[in-house]
Amino acid sequence: MVLCGISIGGFTLSVFCDVVTRELGTPWLWLQLVTTGFFAWGVFIGMATATRRIDHLNLVEITKRMRGPKRSLLEITNRVIILLVGLAMVVFGTQNCLNDMGSFRAPSLLPLATYTASVPVAGALIVLFAVEQIVNGWRHGFEGPEDADDFAGIVK
Amino acid sequence: MSNGAILLLMTGLFLGLGYMGVPVAFALMAGVLVACGLTPISMQSMVGQMFHGIDSEILLAVPFFLLVGELMTSADVTNRMIRLAQTMVGHLRGGLAQVVTLFSMFFAGISGSSTADVAVLSRTVAPEMTREGYDRAFTSALIACASTMANLIPPSIMAVVYGATGNVSIGGLFLAGIVPGLLIGIGLMIYSHFFGPTGLRKPRASLCEFAAATRASVLPLMIPLIIMGGILTGWFTPTEAGMVASVYIILVLVPLLARGHIRHLPRDFVYTGLLYSIPLALVAAASAFGWMLAYLRGPDIVSGWIELIAGHDGRIIMFLLVLLFIVIGDFMDAVPAIIIFMPIVIKLNELGDINSLHMGVVLITTLVFGLITPPYGLSLLVASKFVGVAFSRAMFASLPIYVVFFATIAFTVLFPSMVLYLPKLFLPESVGCFKSPSGTGYICPK
Repeated sequence: MVLCGISIGGFTLSVFCDVVTRELGTPWLWLQLVTTGFFAWGVFIGMATATRRIDHLNLVEITKRMRGPKRSLLEITNRVIILLVGLAMVVFGTQNCLNDMGSFRAPSLLPLATYTASVPVAGALIVLFAVEQIVNGWRHGFEGPEDADDFAGIVK
Repeated sequence: MSNGAILLLMTGLFLGLGYMGVPVAFALMAGVLVACGLTPISMQSMVGQMFHGIDSEILLAVPFFLLVGELMTSADVTNRMIRLAQTMVGHLRGGLAQVVTLFSMFFAGISGSSTADVAVLSRTVAPEMTREGYDRAFTSALIACASTMANLIPPSIMAVVYGATGNVSIGGLFLAGIVPGLLIGIGLMIYSHFFGPTGLRKPRASLCEFAAATRASVLPLMIPLIIMGGILTGWFTPTEAGMVASVYIILVLVPLLARGHIRHLPRDFVYTGLLYSIPLALVAAASAFGWMLAYLRGPDIVSGWIELIAGHDGRIIMFLLVLLFIVIGDFMDAVPAIIIFMPIVIKLNELGDINSLHMGVVLITTLVFGLITPPYGLSLLVASKFVGVAFSRAMFASLPIYVVFFATIAFTVLFPSMVLYLPKLFLPESVGCFKSPSGTGYICPK
């Protein structure tokens, strides 16, 4: 979460400097690359963080209406799907990243891979968090105090 | 396997997994990855598409408008605007209900987030409404309905996403959203006056009280001027306008109006950092889904169906799309809906020769309605939770208010000249006008 805060703080500062230097007539063109870098990394790291905190948007929180083995089965299935998507992000994101080592962004000529690496890194974190949740859920169950919240149980 | 069958499988998988409880972003990607297995498209390119979906400078405006909303909410500066609304309409029948709507109009000009609006009103005005005897279900329904204006009156996050995906002027969408936004506001005020609870009648505020409340609110109310003024004068892009508004709050508003909040600023940044990544993760996944949909010729199939019914009549096409988006908005968040269905919308714009800005504002107005309809009425759900009433009760209380939204959507479809009046006046290029060869004025399409 702190990384998410750093990312938004970073690109707020870089957009600010971008506007100021442009108005002063000496634009620092590379600032736009810094901005998009902070932004992309922020989105994907945030995606992983939201996975751990179970903050992602859901169509329905159907599982919170269930109890016992039925719930465990569904919760594990959901996390396995998250895990598989995370794995795809790691494997195919790494392939993309390796391809992008040869592409560069003007004017700084930074490899595109410095941006696209955010996808496999987020994928790896998502895999890690999904495994953590499956293991914890298997040991202690998936039902938590948040289930008593009337917000859950209907729709999120 | 035919394209149609793959499309059905991909969409079915997304909806099936989504309703099983898999987060939307992952359900979308699961559908795309399975479709990759059945087509020559590589999974590598689709994972790459996730990155390209968010690799857009325009989308940077989203976190800034969320940051503005979060800073304003957590610094408690909004109380001044509530006080101003009270001095203006607090004496009317259903005074606090009118305050909710008027404040939402003010706040919509500052934040592009409906959820932030719901959070502010639920914490401040809702308890007072309960004390005055307003039914909690009515309170939560009204707060949720009023909060939808945040996505119409500029700055609007939906407009940013729509503009970035559909290559439509964001400044134009901002201006075009003002008319439907105000219509919803006026409609809610009329509804509260004639059909809402009476509340406690209060004396009209004196001119001095009104002047004092206005003076106290001047600094926060500068934010809409900074945002729209910057965009319209060409000084800033929407992204930069969002940044300037955030910096204005941090450097001017917080030190002057909420000095004690300075030490909480890092917390606001950390929270917003997480908050913005959630819709943008959806953008990333939805852009891969939309790409696959376009590859499988989904837009051709759907536009073929719509052409069968509507022919080339732009107005009927729009009404059919409104119906489609009302259904979609019931089940899905607006951001992925815009991205996934954009190829279809572009195709239908061409078919019916519809102005893309007009179509944009109609669809955004339709999608904000989805914020208060079950099962995925996010604003209504958050409002019912914060106010402390069952979702079903809040939903029933909101049913009569749907009329306001239907009337606004119909108006937006039927009177494009009024909806597009402001963009035509201030940003003529955004509605397809071009400079006259003589050098004076613009030539606009009919």
